[in-house]
Amino acid sequence: MRRRTFLGLLGAAGAGIVFGKSAHAGGNKQFEGYPESFGVLFDATRCIGCRKCEAGCNKVNELPAPDRPFDDLKVLDVKRRTHAKTYTVVNRYDNIPGAAGPVYRKFQCNHCLEPACASACFVRAFTKTKQGGVIWDSSVCVGCRYCMIACPFDVPTFEYSEVLTPRIRKCTLCSPLITSGKLAVPGCVGACPNESLVYGKRAELIKIARERIRMFPGRYVDHIYGEREMGGTNWLYLSGVPFKAIGMREDLGITSAPELTSGALATVPVIAVTWPVLLTGIYAVSKRREKIAREERLQAVAKVEEEAKAKLAQAKAQAEADKKAAVEREVKKALEQAAKAKTTEGA
Amino acid sequence: MKRGRPLFRWPGILLLCAAISIICIEAYGKKEPLNTPESGRPDLVTIDTLAAFGKLELPPVTFFHDKHTEALLKEKKDCKTCHLVEDDKLSLTFKRSKATRPAEIKQIYHSNCIGCHMDMAAAGKKSGPPDGMCRSCHNAEPKIAAARLDVEVNKILHFRHVGSKSVPSKTTDKDNCNRCHHVYDKEAKKIVYVKGKEATCGYCHLEKQKDDVKSLRQASHLECVLCHLDLANKEVKETGPYVCAGCHGKDGQVLVAKKNQEAVAKLPDKEIPRLKAGQPDFALITLDPKLESAKALKPVLMNPVAFDHKAHERSNDSCHVCHHKTVDSCQTCHTLLGKKEGGSVRFEEAMHLRASKQSCLGCHGEKQAALSCAGCHSHMDKIRRPDDATCRQCHMPLPKTVLQGRGELRDDVVLTPKQKSGIAEVMLKGRNMKPGVYAVEDIPEKAVIRELVDQYEPAEMPHRKIVLTLMKGMKDNSLAGYFHSEQGTICQGCHHNSPAAKKPPRCGNCHGKPFDPRQPNRPGLQAAFHGECMGCHKAIKLAKPAATACTECHKEKKKEPA
Repeated sequence: MRRRTFLGLLGAAGAGIVFGKSAHAGGNKQFEGYPESFGVLFDATRCIGCRKCEAGCNKVNELPAPDRPFDDLKVLDVKRRTHAKTYTVVNRYDNIPGAAGPVYRKFQCNHCLEPACASACFVRAFTKTKQGGVIWDSSVCVGCRYCMIACPFDVPTFEYSEVLTPRIRKCTLCSPLITSGKLAVPGCVGACPNESLVYGKRAELIKIARERIRMFPGRYVDHIYGEREMGGTNWLYLSGVPFKAIGMREDLGITSAPELTSGALATVPVIAVTWPVLLTGIYAVSKRREKIAREERLQAVAKVEEEAKAKLAQAKAQAEADKKAAVEREVKKALEQAAKAKTTEGA
Repeated sequence: MKRGRPLFRWPGILLLCAAISIICIEAYGKKEPLNTPESGRPDLVTIDTLAAFGKLELPPVTFFHDKHTEALLKEKKDCKTCHLVEDDKLSLTFKRSKATRPAEIKQIYHSNCIGCHMDMAAAGKKSGPPDGMCRSCHNAEPKIAAARLDVEVNKILHFRHVGSKSVPSKTTDKDNCNRCHHVYDKEAKKIVYVKGKEATCGYCHLEKQKDDVKSLRQASHLECVLCHLDLANKEVKETGPYVCAGCHGKDGQVLVAKKNQEAVAKLPDKEIPRLKAGQPDFALITLDPKLESAKALKPVLMNPVAFDHKAHERSNDSCHVCHHKTVDSCQTCHTLLGKKEGGSVRFEEAMHLRASKQSCLGCHGEKQAALSCAGCHSHMDKIRRPDDATCRQCHMPLPKTVLQGRGELRDDVVLTPKQKSGIAEVMLKGRNMKPGVYAVEDIPEKAVIRELVDQYEPAEMPHRKIVLTLMKGMKDNSLAGYFHSEQGTICQGCHHNSPAAKKPPRCGNCHGKPFDPRQPNRPGLQAAFHGECMGCHKAIKLAKPAATACTECHKEKKKEPA
């Protein structure tokens, strides 16, 4: 390829990126959440690890019966995670320095304000409802499990045992049940005996959490987990020990997942559509031009060749003729000389 | 150099890569030193003398002092092997009297330490690292850390020294205070003993050495350890410890505590005699207008606090729990508007700041964390303002005998310290220091909680037993007794946010449905019951009933046959 062509392609590619539509999911503005969205505040200093929340969730969502009953507290000896049959689990964390006894934490979907699962799903199965829960439509799910990879908290679970129609399963914040009026509060919140879980508007919950930290300064870590993590979540946590000690990631940052990927994803249409068309076009055009130039060159060469050939033939003929003439001349000369010599001899 | 260019291209690129990786890997590899040593010893001294002169070339030396004293004792050698004697006292530094140039210090340490090690090794004895094994001493990541417990000379330890025959007075004075206590005479430029000005060492000898004033560590070692050593050398039978572990180690402190207990047991009526420092029995805590600056508005004498100094001496381990900088009046530094000497802490804050250990409310707050108090006090929030009745329990009106007209001080009353003490004594007389509660018949025996009965039977709470247990917990505690002397006060531990009464409100009067947006932080009734009961049990570390053992408090309702 010629250098100019190469540079031209490069420039076109750059121009394509610049002038292609820059799509930022959510833009540079922070999504503060729908104003009426509800959330849950979990207070780790109050949780006693009774697992009634798991039982409540199981009941309202009509999930299958568990392997071990919910009042079996020995289950807490092992750290568990949610799976296709449970939307939430409680884990126990022992021997945390600074804690008088074991600390319990309830693990479930955090219902992020800008969910990574919704952003990763290319069939738009997830919806962030106005009520606050992140729900999904199983009927459009293709089972690609991108949402499981995208979630920073490793929440969505998959029905591996189902062969033909596996579904993604996770906590819904009881959004369909609450919106339809069947429940006033999520199943887990209603079952908790001492209000370790509080259900209310997210803005109110943050105020409540701040008030609790203010009233009992020695009791809580001065941070509401979920206030800004991954752009903010609807499930907020208060704890008396560092959050890392109860199994929560502290390295997530405050940028939501869609914001992190919007830059890279915006270039996909450019690369998938604009570039092929533009660059192929330029390539085709330049190739065509080269071809024509080559043909013209060939033509010109052919013409010159022909002329040369004709000249050559002419020159050859001339040379032949000259030769012939020269030969004849010599012969004539020789004959004349011979005749002359003969006459001289005869005299 | 057309042909030479390719020759330099590849080596140049390789060199660049090498340089970048060296720099980056060096930066990456600078991790923090492992702060997880496997065990701790009290005698670990970190020798980093040269750190005062600049950046250290090698890590500081981890030196085990007791190990060396033991080894020397086996050789029948004493402290003078390493510590020079100056002014009749051992110098606390190693083989030198004054810190001089870094090269000299390094040479002193190396030649003496390594020299001794080599000598011992040559004699066939177990010894430390020899020459050439630098990192054996200059240990970058020591497996053993310093684990020194703080030493506190509390009143019983002080008493043992006061009464000890081995600590004679240096003068003809009967009391042996002058043996340890001194002050610095600025004019004579030396330390002298001034009777009446004995105070805790920490007032002048601070954490770090300041000019010529030795640090507390140096001063205490010079005074305490050297005296103990002296006595030990004189073959006195009972002397204090002079090895690191003896004071700073866990076992050493256990032994000291045991000896303290034995000394107390020998006393008549088991009470430690008061320190003879001329302190008052009673004090009247009020603003002294003479100590205030002209800038402060003429302070109004509100109801003062009559303070039982004698009782507080009994219940505290030493004077400097409250007198944290000086034994003078708090108002010397903590004036109405605050002074620089007092850290800008105003008088009101110095008395009431809950976060402080020295303030009245702060100390009382700490006492509320005890197990017999924490059940109720742990769930009372720390920011609420106490109600007026509580304030009045300390701020009492002056006795009528010193007042005139509409409650002003009589003109002829001059508040000298002696007079103040007398007034305080009068105010404190006749106070009820015993905890009060309603008559037993008036306390319901069982509280049957019937609200919200669903899965479980009504809960039968042993109400009277709990109240009487709380009263028992306050039996010998005059602090608790005084503040709970009103009958209804103890009930307010659970029957909170309501006035004290013989018939306090039920929980359901205020706690209703949960998640009421009008009352954001108020739990619903079920959470109120569970939170209160479980919260108290958790705070007093009650093992039974466990919070998850539902049926221990309310039996399960038997399912009716369908």
